[in-house]
Amino acid sequence: MLRLEKTKEDLHDILSLDGEVDASNSVILDEAIQDLVQNGSRSILIDGRNLEYISSAGLGVFMSYLEEFQEKDITLKISGLSPKVVEVFRILGLDKLIPIYPDKTEALAK
Amino acid sequence: MIKLPKFHIGRLTLLLSLLVWLALLFVDLVRIFGMINSLESGISSEITWILEILFFICVYFFYTNSLEKNKQKNFLEMVWRGASTGIFASGIALVIELFYFSLGESKLGADPFLKNFFYHINFALTTIFLISTALLWKTLILYQKTKQVVKQWQAFEFALLVAMFFVFFNKNNLDYSFIFGLVILLIISAVLAGNLKWIPYLNFKEKWKSLLFLFLILVSTAFLFTRFLAYSDAEIYQVNLTDNLFLISLFGFIFLYGLFSFLVTLFNLPTSSVFEQKLTETINFQRLSQSIKPEENEEQVLDILMDSCMSASYADGAWLDVHEGGKNTPIQLRFLDDKDRESLAKIMEIPIEEWEKSTSVNLLQPLNLRLDHMKYQSALVVPLVVNNQKIGQILLVKEVRDGFNKEMIGIITTFSRQASIAVENHRLLNQAIRNERYQEELKIAQRVQKSLLPTRLDHPDTFEICAYSNAADEVGGDYYDTFAISEEKYVLIMGDVSGKGTSAAFHMAQMKGIFQSLIQLDLSPAQFMIQANSALSRCLSKNHFITASIFLINTQSKQICHSRAGHVPTLFYKAEEKKSDFLMQDGLGLGILRNRQYENHVQEKTMEYGEGDILVMFTDGIVEAKNQKGQQFGFERIRSLVELHPDKSPKEIQNILIDTLHDFVGGNGMIDDDYSLMVVKFHPHHLSK
Repeated sequence: MLRLEKTKEDLHDILSLDGEVDASNSVILDEAIQDLVQNGSRSILIDGRNLEYISSAGLGVFMSYLEEFQEKDITLKISGLSPKVVEVFRILGLDKLIPIYPDKTEALAK
Repeated sequence: MIKLPKFHIGRLTLLLSLLVWLALLFVDLVRIFGMINSLESGISSEITWILEILFFICVYFFYTNSLEKNKQKNFLEMVWRGASTGIFASGIALVIELFYFSLGESKLGADPFLKNFFYHINFALTTIFLISTALLWKTLILYQKTKQVVKQWQAFEFALLVAMFFVFFNKNNLDYSFIFGLVILLIISAVLAGNLKWIPYLNFKEKWKSLLFLFLILVSTAFLFTRFLAYSDAEIYQVNLTDNLFLISLFGFIFLYGLFSFLVTLFNLPTSSVFEQKLTETINFQRLSQSIKPEENEEQVLDILMDSCMSASYADGAWLDVHEGGKNTPIQLRFLDDKDRESLAKIMEIPIEEWEKSTSVNLLQPLNLRLDHMKYQSALVVPLVVNNQKIGQILLVKEVRDGFNKEMIGIITTFSRQASIAVENHRLLNQAIRNERYQEELKIAQRVQKSLLPTRLDHPDTFEICAYSNAADEVGGDYYDTFAISEEKYVLIMGDVSGKGTSAAFHMAQMKGIFQSLIQLDLSPAQFMIQANSALSRCLSKNHFITASIFLINTQSKQICHSRAGHVPTLFYKAEEKKSDFLMQDGLGLGILRNRQYENHVQEKTMEYGEGDILVMFTDGIVEAKNQKGQQFGFERIRSLVELHPDKSPKEIQNILIDTLHDFVGGNGMIDDDYSLMVVKFHPHHLSK
């Protein structure tokens, strides 16, 4: 089960994830990010406060945008992840490529 | 009419009947001889009566037996059998009559012996006709019998039996007791004559034929009866055989049932087409529901459907529109040419569009239209809905206005629903067959993939090794291998493609190819990862990545050099310290950064190893396996299990880990990801031996 919510704060598009991201629903996440890119978003913040689990397919979604974001100069940040989910990002090494912040305010401040 | 019986009972009864009849004839002839010569023959009437009863019984059994054998005959043949016997008996009687008429007043014409002989022939043939026809009637009466009818028939048979012996009681007088018995038997006959359930099953043509046959039976019965009456007035017959309650009752019974059948058949004639129609509909319905065999195509189902709808509605023309790719393709044109169809389709286009929009697909009722067309005045459009989708529509047209009544629409709706179900079943069945084929293909893929994993792991005596891998689906994305570079240098590698299933399996095969070729270059672990990343970046699809772990073991220097590319950290148990750690150094997964920047994201680390040290490599399928409560197996369970059993062999440790994992997930729990495990235990002192 994954619920997505899109909000806007200043110039940042905030995508809140609630539930689990796995192979069955990673497409939804992919479509949501693609939507934001097409609407000309410059800064995307993934709010992962309620994200319980992310599988490798879910990580694959973030990974697939790294190059495109770098080219188009779009910033991607993640905030509020539980320690367990942060660990998943850390093991894969994605924390080195996507800035991960403890909470949203801190993420937006930087 | 007399058929040669095949079985002994038939032959026996036939022979007996013949003998009894001859005896009867003989007795009467003797009696006449005595009378002419004024001698008392001394033969009492009772003997004749007994012989007569015997004759009845023999004929009864002969025909019961004969009918038993021809049970499967249809109604018409049975009625014909009765009629033919009747004609035969009447014919003979008529010939005898004519014979006497031609003889006139001659001496021969007055000969009592000859007269008696012919009398007996008439008696025998009439008896045969009566008994055989009565038995035919019995079969017809007991068609679709109820318990009550069977009881009535049994009562009738019993009464007839009593009537046979009645002659002993009333000595052949037409007294009140005779009339009383006759009335009772006639009443039962009339009650039985109400059982005419066989008639509706005749079709129109058969009804006409049966009317003719019944008429013949009635005429024969009436004619033979008048003959009997004539005999009873004649004085020359010493012992009257024909004024018998049994025979007279049979006359009544046969005539009554024949008359009832005749009249009911006659009145059934006009409605027989309706009954036939209903029967055809039932058969069509059956054909539709059976037409789901995989080798038959949908065309055949639709063909039956069209036939059924046409015959149910008496339509003058019809066709079927099949929706395909947003377009209507007309097929199954019936009694219409393309020009007519096109003009009709044009007229109906707008009403059909409105009708389709009016409600949801599943609630669509047939559309009954009045047409403004030079030839056709009314039309009926019936939707074909399969799986919540309109796959087409049947269009029926008639030359009369308001040609489709409620009953027709009802039955056509049922037909189209049944056909839709048949089409749906047909599609599901084919899909199931296709799926089965895919399953077969997957099994082949499974075998191929299993062969990609090593069956034998390269290792020297100085360390023991074992490995295990299991895919969540038929095929998976996990990979492990070992490689001996030289006598003292060994490489262990484990990889995991993101995701699972077929796509992961293809990438796994690519990974194996790349790893196998890079291993031979004798690269340092970090260089290996950099090269692997570069190669994989070119072939992995956009959102896939691979995590890998590599160990370069030098058995001479007792060192291991390790690099990690996003893979779950390996557990390294140090026997000396009785402690273990996860080797968590930085390292980005392969295929995430598909450029030279990757070089900055991978590290390598060299460690010493000693006697009894253990390495446990695994994939995230084990760490992330969940139990019923949604908890993950996690890293710590692996660590504590290894620390609990450091003295066990790699194989034992592997089994403990996998068993514990399965217990944790629960009996029927599924591990939703591929998982693999490789356990290495070092014994560096073996080398010195």
